[in-house]
Amino acid sequence: MSENPTAPGLPGDDEPGRRRIGVYICHCGGNISDYVDVARVRAAIADDPDVMVAETTLFACADGQQHTMVHDIQNQHLDGLVVASCSPKLHTTTFRGVSRRADLNPYAYTQVNIREQDSWAHTDDHEGATERAIALVKAGIAKTRLSTPLSPLRVETVPATMVVGGGVTGLRTAIGLADIGLSVIVVEREAELGGWLGRLGPTFPHDTPGRDQIAGLVAQIAQRPTITVLTDAELVGKTGSFGNYTAKVHVRGETTDELRQFQVGTFVIATGADVYSPEVGELGYGIDGVVTLHEFGTLVDEATGGALTWHGRRVRSIAYVYCVGNRQAEGNAYCSKFCCAATVHASIKVSKVDPSIRQFHLHRDVRAYGRYELLYTESRERGSVYLRYPDDAPPAIEQSADGRLAVTLVDALTGPDELTIPVDLVVLVTGMVPRQNEALTSLLKLPTGDDGFYNEIHPKLRPVETVVDGVMIAGACQGPKPANEAVSGGLAAVTQSAGILKRGFAELDPLVATVNEAACTGCGECLTTCPYDAISAYPCDTGQKALVSAANCKGCGGCVPVCPEDAIDLLGYTSAQMLAAIDGLADREPVA
Amino acid sequence: MTTVVDVDLMADLKKFGATDVSACFSCGTCTAICPLADDDATFPRRVIRYAQVGLTDELLGAKELWTCYHCGLCSQSCPTKADPGEFMATARRYAIASYEPTGLARVIYTRPKLGTVVAVLVAAFFALFMLTQADLGGIHSPTLALFQFVPSELVHWLGVGTMVAMFAAGAWGVVRMTRALARRDGVTWADVAGSRAALRRSAAAAWSSLGVESLGQRRFREDCHDDQPAEPLWRRRWLVHALTIWGFLGLFGATLIDYGLELAGIKMTGTPIPLWYPSRALGTVAGLSLMYGVTVFLLSRWRRWTPAHATSTGSDWLLLTLLWITGCTGFVIEVALYAGQPPVWGYWFFLLHVAVAMELMLMVPFTKFAHAMYRPVALFFYALARDRVR
Repeated sequence: MSENPTAPGLPGDDEPGRRRIGVYICHCGGNISDYVDVARVRAAIADDPDVMVAETTLFACADGQQHTMVHDIQNQHLDGLVVASCSPKLHTTTFRGVSRRADLNPYAYTQVNIREQDSWAHTDDHEGATERAIALVKAGIAKTRLSTPLSPLRVETVPATMVVGGGVTGLRTAIGLADIGLSVIVVEREAELGGWLGRLGPTFPHDTPGRDQIAGLVAQIAQRPTITVLTDAELVGKTGSFGNYTAKVHVRGETTDELRQFQVGTFVIATGADVYSPEVGELGYGIDGVVTLHEFGTLVDEATGGALTWHGRRVRSIAYVYCVGNRQAEGNAYCSKFCCAATVHASIKVSKVDPSIRQFHLHRDVRAYGRYELLYTESRERGSVYLRYPDDAPPAIEQSADGRLAVTLVDALTGPDELTIPVDLVVLVTGMVPRQNEALTSLLKLPTGDDGFYNEIHPKLRPVETVVDGVMIAGACQGPKPANEAVSGGLAAVTQSAGILKRGFAELDPLVATVNEAACTGCGECLTTCPYDAISAYPCDTGQKALVSAANCKGCGGCVPVCPEDAIDLLGYTSAQMLAAIDGLADREPVA
Repeated sequence: MTTVVDVDLMADLKKFGATDVSACFSCGTCTAICPLADDDATFPRRVIRYAQVGLTDELLGAKELWTCYHCGLCSQSCPTKADPGEFMATARRYAIASYEPTGLARVIYTRPKLGTVVAVLVAAFFALFMLTQADLGGIHSPTLALFQFVPSELVHWLGVGTMVAMFAAGAWGVVRMTRALARRDGVTWADVAGSRAALRRSAAAAWSSLGVESLGQRRFREDCHDDQPAEPLWRRRWLVHALTIWGFLGLFGATLIDYGLELAGIKMTGTPIPLWYPSRALGTVAGLSLMYGVTVFLLSRWRRWTPAHATSTGSDWLLLTLLWITGCTGFVIEVALYAGQPPVWGYWFFLLHVAVAMELMLMVPFTKFAHAMYRPVALFFYALARDRVR
């Protein structure tokens, strides 16, 4: 390959403009080298006049190899780096780090994927895989040859967070944010703080009344002057860019309504969920004595005198029917997570009120996970009986002639014959449903899952971030969960907000679109293309020009092909770089 | 078919013992470790489930209750400490109380103090009744003329009457139990007596139940190896139990032989006979066997030698005590009969002996003794079921 073509516009071998690129071809311990002849790949590009270092390595990502690369970059004065290894998703950050440590601009680094896109896909064709690897590496070199140094975009951030929702998650999040040094605005739609938990009596696992938990949080908030609480208020507008948003809040006053504005750096959405409300007739709902878990909780908390009564009649036996409106083939398929533990806990409360009450739990798996297992054990020891009914045959609930209720089911452990349990009260264990919040959802462009709850980017790796920059979600608006887990999510959002806002500025990837003003004719095609509203138009002498807000641009490149004048370029992936890469792939003279 | 749950069953069962069984979560460790739970039998787990849910008919129709010999392995291995072994014993008590019609068994099991009073009163009744008919003047005769003191006719007919009453109450219970078991197992008359093959099966099952298991104690001996080899042979439960059964049956046999001899005109009841005389030899050996068995059981319960004897209820003590008094007073009478000068206390021990023996027989369907009636029935159904599996 001694006749390796040189890129257009670049001078010849001895001229000062020639690049000094280091190329490292990884074996990946055999993942690549078992199918790709890495020595041949190295030989194919080693003679490229822009390639100063060409090596194969067992593991490019290994510490020792990283040191070698830093050493090479510094000693050979390299100005470009190509690593042919695995997917960029895996190690882009690793090798950008190598570049940075060697004082090389991180954006002069190109990762070439010869594992997922080559060796793994072509295990049956070693020759073809090797040729393909050569082409991919050449494309990478060609792209790197045209790289220009880029610096991260720096945006100033506002040290304030708006928490939407004043339930347990929102309140605990507000306290966490205030304690970490950010000012907080809590926006609650209702007149009172507290949400669902604020209406509950003793809750699992510690028997602390929900009301007291909320009262405790509200008292802590009162001691923190950096927290502003707005009730009867709704978020109605959001403008601005990453780290510096203007939020408009509509506050309903006694006499007049008010529109207030706040500058905030991030949002934490903690709008919670609603409880499922059964249809009349669903599992006997509507019959006297058939109640939901929520209604039952109130009944138990208000029981006095060592007896549980329903409409003046003493309750002797109770049947709990689990998974109502949840885990259904038709309808809500998800599990609400809290209801098993809540019901088990309620049954313990019942047995404390009147130990002689017989309690039957008709379930489809008791998901009393973690420490809630202890509650489950306690309830069994107190005499609760658990019966599993088949997924496709829910219990039938009827009123018998004497006004009592008859619950008929098949118990997995004694079946297949049906059992009829005569009871005084049937409790439908209802789970959570997503809260109807369309205005907020569309205002913030929050992504919603099939189940109607808000979606995070990744449930484990990025559990509170959304695809919308600066907007985090926490608590039951993300999916059903017990209060403690909701609060954990809120605290994760605190940390995340602090990570963004505490430095006072944020660095964004510079891989964004730029407009060549000279070429832009102001046709406006790009304005409607951008999914992030990052492109705006500004007037100038010759009409109007397009302007890309770097803070809002996500570098998707959607506007580049739209521009009829080719006036938009994506930094790091310029048109010239991409064309050169294609030439490299095809291994021929550059397209003009 | 829909079964209506008895929501009060568990509370009722707790009166008979088994307070811990609520903790059971049906893991089945008890079934896995039980050496007797074979042929897809799922006890004790399944039987505990019946109780928890409130399936009274299923519980009373469970032959598995009576295939358990309470070795205690299940209770030792239970992860929730629900004590399945004690539960099975409790369920047997509940079954005895449910099968018999008078409610006396329920009193004995659930109110042990009142039960003891009843037991004493019954014995006292027998004693007083005989005393009203006794010839108190005969006490000082030169020989110990027991059957002149209380006429042998009286003892005989009182015994017959007691046996008839016992059999009537017992038969009632056995019929109820049989129907419950047959219903649950789906066994019909045709299955047990409908054909020659059915009769052959029934005969084989009856032999397995009465011969191999009840008299031979085969599974108790071979499978319930909870106490082997740690327990010395002399206090292994199956042997002690077998000696008690054999002793009791031996004494029963000796009594029948004695009566047969009287009918045949060879020897009148109460006539002094030498030790080698068949009925007396049998009676002495059987009596020693019974006394050994009952005494070891009492000691074992007192000292809690085995898991099975760790918990003792009033009914356990009642049966053993009645058996022990009967056996012991029998030997006291032996001594009195052959003492040189007939002692006066011999008459009183005789009175006590007869009264307690009568009571023991009369109370069979109501005390723990009832297992002697019910267990063979269950083992019969067990043998039938095993035959069907094969």
